[in-house]
Amino acid sequence: MNLLTQPIGVSHYLIVGAFLFVTGVVCMATKRNALGVLMGIELVLNGANVNFVAFGSEYLRPDTLGIGLDGQLVALFVIVLAAAEAAVALAITLNFYNNHATVDVDQANELKG
Amino acid sequence: MEPINWHSFFFLLSSLVACVFALGVALSSNIVRMAFYLVLSLAATAGLFFLAGADFVGAMQLMIYVGGTLVLLIFGVMLTAKGPFITMKTSAGEWILSAVVGGSLLAMLLSAATSVQDWQTTYEPPAEARVTATRLGMGLLGARVDQLDEPDAAQRAGMSGYLLPFEIVSVHLLVVLIGAAYLARPKKRMVSSADRP
Amino acid sequence: MDPVSTLPKLLGLAWLLPLVSFTLIVFFGPRMGKSGSKAGYLATGAILASCVLSLFALFFVWLPGYGLPAPAHHQAAAESSHEAPAGTAHDAAPSVKAITGDWYTLGKFGSLRITIGYYIDSLTMLMFSMVTVIATCIHFYAYGYMHYELHEVVDHEVKLPNGQHLHRRGRFHRFFQYMSLFCFSMLGIVIAGNIAMVFVFWELVGICSYFLIGFYIERKSACVAANKAFIVNRVGDFGMIIGMMIFFGTLGTFAFGDIDTDGDGKPEPGLFSLVRSEENHHALATPDGMIKAAAAAEIGRGVVPTAEQIQAWREDISPGSPGRYAYWLLITAGLGIFCGCVGKSAQFPLHVWLPDAMEGPTPVSALVHSATMVAAGVYLVGRFYPMFAPEVLLVIAVIGCITLFVAATIAITATDIKRVLAYSTVSQLGYMMLALGVGGWAAGMFHLITHAFFKSLLFMCSGSVIHACHTNEMTKMGGLRKKMPWTAYTMLAGCLAIMGAGIPFSIGLSGHYSKDAILAQALSFKAGNPFYGWLFYVAAGGAAITAFYMFRLWFMTFAGTPRDHHIYEHAHESPKVMYYPLVMLSVFAVGIGWSVERFGIQPLLEQTRPAGILAMSNGVLMPDLVYPSEHASHLDEFHGPSTYVATATALCGFLLAVVFYGLRILDPNEVRNQFQLIYRFLIHKWYFDELYDAIFVQPLLFVARRVADFDKKVIDVFIDKLALVTRMVAGLDDLIDRYFVDGFVNSAAAGIYGVGTWFHGAETGKLRQYVMFIVIGTVALFVLISFYLNSTLAGF
Repeated sequence: MNLLTQPIGVSHYLIVGAFLFVTGVVCMATKRNALGVLMGIELVLNGANVNFVAFGSEYLRPDTLGIGLDGQLVALFVIVLAAAEAAVALAITLNFYNNHATVDVDQANELKG
Repeated sequence: MEPINWHSFFFLLSSLVACVFALGVALSSNIVRMAFYLVLSLAATAGLFFLAGADFVGAMQLMIYVGGTLVLLIFGVMLTAKGPFITMKTSAGEWILSAVVGGSLLAMLLSAATSVQDWQTTYEPPAEARVTATRLGMGLLGARVDQLDEPDAAQRAGMSGYLLPFEIVSVHLLVVLIGAAYLARPKKRMVSSADRP
Repeated sequence: MDPVSTLPKLLGLAWLLPLVSFTLIVFFGPRMGKSGSKAGYLATGAILASCVLSLFALFFVWLPGYGLPAPAHHQAAAESSHEAPAGTAHDAAPSVKAITGDWYTLGKFGSLRITIGYYIDSLTMLMFSMVTVIATCIHFYAYGYMHYELHEVVDHEVKLPNGQHLHRRGRFHRFFQYMSLFCFSMLGIVIAGNIAMVFVFWELVGICSYFLIGFYIERKSACVAANKAFIVNRVGDFGMIIGMMIFFGTLGTFAFGDIDTDGDGKPEPGLFSLVRSEENHHALATPDGMIKAAAAAEIGRGVVPTAEQIQAWREDISPGSPGRYAYWLLITAGLGIFCGCVGKSAQFPLHVWLPDAMEGPTPVSALVHSATMVAAGVYLVGRFYPMFAPEVLLVIAVIGCITLFVAATIAITATDIKRVLAYSTVSQLGYMMLALGVGGWAAGMFHLITHAFFKSLLFMCSGSVIHACHTNEMTKMGGLRKKMPWTAYTMLAGCLAIMGAGIPFSIGLSGHYSKDAILAQALSFKAGNPFYGWLFYVAAGGAAITAFYMFRLWFMTFAGTPRDHHIYEHAHESPKVMYYPLVMLSVFAVGIGWSVERFGIQPLLEQTRPAGILAMSNGVLMPDLVYPSEHASHLDEFHGPSTYVATATALCGFLLAVVFYGLRILDPNEVRNQFQLIYRFLIHKWYFDELYDAIFVQPLLFVARRVADFDKKVIDVFIDKLALVTRMVAGLDDLIDRYFVDGFVNSAAAGIYGVGTWFHGAETGKLRQYVMFIVIGTVALFVLISFYLNSTLAGF
């Protein structure tokens, strides 16, 4: 199957979304810099957004099967949510940096049982 | 030889860019580069949205994400970027562990993404593009113009718009911004009661 | 002012003031001024107020209310007692009845009422005034005498184990605290309206005496003396309880006088009315209650105790009859009460405690152990006089006579100045008992009052001497007259008073009158009972001995040349606060016996003489025992000789003292060597202490040691073994606890702790690991669902 000649379907988008998602997770799991973790989160949210847009797109599947405009609206919400989350997380990070003079999340182990 | 389907071609191009730079974000240990890669990856994702016919969402992706959120992130990077924090190495053991775990998650997701036959079927997209911004705007104000031809009146009434979530998100955003400002405010010296006259 | 309603209030207030002072000093004593010096002011003020109140009551309520005593009708009464047959003679009821009633009822047991009551007659008034006046003088005196207690005291008589003398804090306030309690208790005895109340305050003065004798508690001698006084008094009080129980069991009342308790307008008869009922013309008769108790067997057999039947029983005193038994009950009750008086008044054979009681501070000796508390026994005999059968009175007379002689002889050889006075006190108390015992109620009470004044004076003078010389030994004194004239001449007045100095039939010091009355009564008794004539001779001889030892004391202390120059040089007159009371008391000692017109102690006493005791009476079991009327002793045939005898014997004793100690013509040491045996006998106080030691103390100690051995060898061993067994059982329990119970609990805890630690490892606090856990969890969930729960979920 030649990808260049065939039209693409939802599955392709899902694969890209899954890849972005996993990359984000790996980024969160490996980065010691709090901002790196934040970037991982952005990637994860993007992966999810790709899925929403794909399911709601009438270019990729017939109207009767998709969720129509709802997918795009949810994606919009996620974008706004991501912006808010980024603001809060950045504030937390800066606060943490002010208090501990570091952005290493491994130092933030005060919740250790 | 069939003609190249340009839609597919741009899709492949955009997704390749998005995935490669996402991988770059994950693998790089330099925070400044990571931020740069992330910009590219998110911009490519916006391209994917355009290709899916969601032009408004794509525009928003570019404006809010690339233009807003990432600027915020880069501000954070610059504020905290002291020598030792630019690059923070992670141990090899953790790399291996996260690769294994990430790989298994990826395998799981891919198997799920490819396991439904209906999602794999492709079809020719409609020739004329529909402008989505108006419809989205009407949806957010409470009127679902895309559902007007729904034959069942009861179902049509149930598909009301997104006014309430819109309001919720607006207030949420306001609260979050105030909270963020509060959290990140400069620390004041605590004035102990003993010092007061 | 109406005496019946006013007197109980006035005297009650005077009685309670010292209690207030005591209570305040108990709680705030140490904080009253520097080292509690204000406590002295408080106690003295309280007793002074009491004194003013009681004198006010006597002069402004009693005398205006009842007038001066009626003119004496000695002659008439004496004649009537001669003419009338014995037992039927009666005298008119006294012109003034005692004021009696209850303040407060503590409890009621059947017919018996335990109350706080009063019985006020002229005897009460006199005793109240006497006690408060003397106590006031002594409080002032003590304020000076006890001054050294205001700061830290070095007790030179107490050696600590490290060889140093004891240093202790001063106890000024405590002294006055006990003095106040004592005054309250003593006044309580005097005003008491029933025998139960008397007993309570009797014991209270006993405990005050105990505290005050043991004031220098660190001295072993004081400690022992306090215990001795307390224990010896218990012997007497035991008899008193027996007497009280007889009254309680047979008569069902403790009250002295008639009190209307049920409010029907008719007074319930008290003890006096039960024994000497009005129907019987106040003559002594076995009360109905005792006869019913004695005839319980007959009544149980169905004999109805009608008035005639009781009268028949009463008159039948053949051996074994209820009447005789009942009469014995009356005698036993009287002897029981007297037994308490023997203990308190230090009569033979319980006199041994009083000389030892001189270990207390001298103001205490003056107040408690000469003037008031020891006189309480005599007072109670006088108060209870209507209850005593003639046989009991005879016992009292004999005991008093023995006491006066024994004590007087011991006083001759004693060299400790306070002990001489102590034996003198015992001897004079014996005189009072003798007087009461031979029928001289007024004589005994009169001597009680006069003696209280001159004996407290003597004691305070001796205290002044001790204060100056810091020793009690007369053999180290002498010539002090020049150093301390006030003390010397007031004491001379006291000595003359106790000796009974005076010009016959004209004037004399107080002791002159009271001793005369006693001797006249004894002589009158001798006329009726020749067999008991020796009572008179011993009393007369005692008068000589009294004069001898008193002037021996005075000469040894104040006259002649100093025996110890060191002490003489340091001697000094006491401060004013000490010798002003001496002057005041010496005035009383000289003049208290005088009667101006119908105003004096004796006429006052006669005013409320208990009904019936003036009549001639005969013993029931001893029909030969004849008690003459007391007024008979005023006849010239008794009064004249006795006055001559008294004056002559006193003069003899005085001259002997002058010869031996005043002019030192004869050397007492030669006499001592001549009569070595008698001297040793007397210096050992008739070996009473040794005798009691041998027959009571040593056997008791022997038994106690055996009991202690038994304790140690049998009971202790048993207890030890028991303890050992208990310990073994406990050890077993311990093992079970430690290895079984504890082990179970510990292992459970350890298990839970292990699980917790295991989970604890997961809580690393590392953000990235949590992300990893989430991912692993998601994957695991997926694997679980897709491979294992697939079929299960498909069912939905």
